[in-house]
Amino acid sequence: MSRTAIGNWLAAPIVAAIATICLAPLAILFLFSFFSVDFVNIVKEPTFKNYWTIASSSTYRGLIAQAFLSALVVVCITGVIGHPVAYFIAKRVKSAKSAFLVLLLVPLYTGDLVRIFAWRVLLGTEGALNTLLLWVGVIDVPIEALLFSPLATHVVLVYNFLPFMVLGLWLSYESLDDHLLEAAGDLGASGMSAFRRVTFPLTAPGLIAGGLMVFVMAVGEYLTPQLVGGASGITIISAINDLFGTAFDWPLGSAIAWTMLAILGFFFAASAVVLGRTNWARAVVGGE
Amino acid sequence: MKNRMTRRSLLQTLCGATALGSLGAMPSLAGSNEFVWMTWENLAKDDYLAKLLAASPIDLRKNFIGTDDEQFAKLRAGGASSVDLITPGLDKVEFYVESGLLQPVDLDRVPNAAALYDTFRNTPLGKKNGETYGVPFYWGINPIVYRADLMDGEPDWSVFFEGDKHAGKLAMRDYALEGIMIAAMYLGIPQDRMFHMDDAELGEVKKALIAQKKKLRTYWNSISDLTNLFASGEVVCAFSWVPPYHELRARGLEMGMALPEAGVIGWCDTVAVPAGVEGQKLEVAHDLINYLLGPVYGEKLAYGGPYATSTSLIRDQLPLDQQEKIFVKDLSIMDTFVWKQNPPRYNEWVALWNEVKAS
Repeated sequence: MSRTAIGNWLAAPIVAAIATICLAPLAILFLFSFFSVDFVNIVKEPTFKNYWTIASSSTYRGLIAQAFLSALVVVCITGVIGHPVAYFIAKRVKSAKSAFLVLLLVPLYTGDLVRIFAWRVLLGTEGALNTLLLWVGVIDVPIEALLFSPLATHVVLVYNFLPFMVLGLWLSYESLDDHLLEAAGDLGASGMSAFRRVTFPLTAPGLIAGGLMVFVMAVGEYLTPQLVGGASGITIISAINDLFGTAFDWPLGSAIAWTMLAILGFFFAASAVVLGRTNWARAVVGGE
Repeated sequence: MKNRMTRRSLLQTLCGATALGSLGAMPSLAGSNEFVWMTWENLAKDDYLAKLLAASPIDLRKNFIGTDDEQFAKLRAGGASSVDLITPGLDKVEFYVESGLLQPVDLDRVPNAAALYDTFRNTPLGKKNGETYGVPFYWGINPIVYRADLMDGEPDWSVFFEGDKHAGKLAMRDYALEGIMIAAMYLGIPQDRMFHMDDAELGEVKKALIAQKKKLRTYWNSISDLTNLFASGEVVCAFSWVPPYHELRARGLEMGMALPEAGVIGWCDTVAVPAGVEGQKLEVAHDLINYLLGPVYGEKLAYGGPYATSTSLIRDQLPLDQQEKIFVKDLSIMDTFVWKQNPPRYNEWVALWNEVKAS
């Protein structure tokens, strides 16, 4: 038996495990999405009814669009904040780089709920921020919109996912050759021009990697909107949760889940195709 | 002695450790006396059950639930064979029965069931073809709880639908059934129609709930979270469960509890036996049900909950103030409650609720 064949056989259990653990549940969900429900019984006669319900419901369409838009906003904000943070850690910190990276990751060790409740303490009507603003005299009455609002949701989501963006960008900055920036300066490029024409393209792989991670996590997030989003905290994921739990409508819940997955897949595939046609993308991703 | 770790020995050690670890992670192969009760955490405190367990050889394992829906989903997904007693809401028992997940309870083996209050003995809920599948076990109401120091007077349901005085300081539970029931009570839809509303009535309910949403600070999902929201002043009035009222009063806050004349939502949880339970476990299930309906457990729950059990066995031994606390001082009050039921169009209720929240 050749070494390649042996390798294939050794890989077989891993492939089987991945197929069982990752793909089988998705396949079952896909199957369920074509069933319907009659009280507490799943009717196993194939139908497109659930997908039609999604397409014809402005509520579900709106919630799906909101999930993707909201995730895109979080990606953009974390990208803007992440660049200087990653640059600072990669290029300015010399001796305690690992300490800064650990510091960046510390909030992740505390768990979602702890972070969310910490933000509540900070942003609440009687919270630290409102108290400070009142004490300074900037405001006369507490700003209620700081908590239980879409603003609060996005602030907390950015805080939660920023480390993932910074890690991706930091790796790119670490491999960025400083001499290129020096050369750009020597050739008369301003700081902004050097960033736009040298730094940004060369750190784009990190931005893309970090952005994808943040995007996927933000689309699927529902705890944060539920706990700090107030009356507007509904998400498509919490709607799916309601369908699986409260309503016992597993088929419709499965159909929404698969619609989300399909849109996500389409989004990534379209991005890859569009980016793949540009010289810039081929250069930064493929090294051409 | 040379003790060198090779790659092969490292892999062998890791494989061995993994195998042993996975053995440890396997569900314990239940001993014959292990009995699993799926229930709410506050119902299975050790001191509540101590007397039963001291006199019985059973090894009681508690499997806590967060919501009734979660319990149903677990059983419906195939988990029924791993539990011996469950705690569904009286209005939800129908779901389990129609799914073939329960067996009837032999009330002859539950002597304390003879003392069930009439309301629970006569209810058609929890029964099918004359047989009882869910034995009413403990009950209570979900009232309006409010910060009496921050509100002028006792509110009724209209506080959630009219006026702007407390807008942005109100909270509702994120639960379709109760949210829609409250809107129906506010709109004056009679109890006998409430769970069978037609499209026009549901349309009115939806309008009222969309108006309500603008006045809410948030929809709450956990009672401890709501308690914190009251304590921090984020919320001054909410459709609530009873515990925040007692807890925050004990912490020195001036709290109020309102029971609107238009109706108060009453709830009752049952104990039910999954279909596959048999033999000695079935005997234990009946013994446990009997204990839960009895005076020892009833007294513990009356003070510890504070909640009332569904039998009269402890009521007369409780002081009047404690009777009042758990709503059994004047039993006629039970007739004024709107007991939760399962609406036939519940899927549409849930869809409506999501439309309101997304509006």
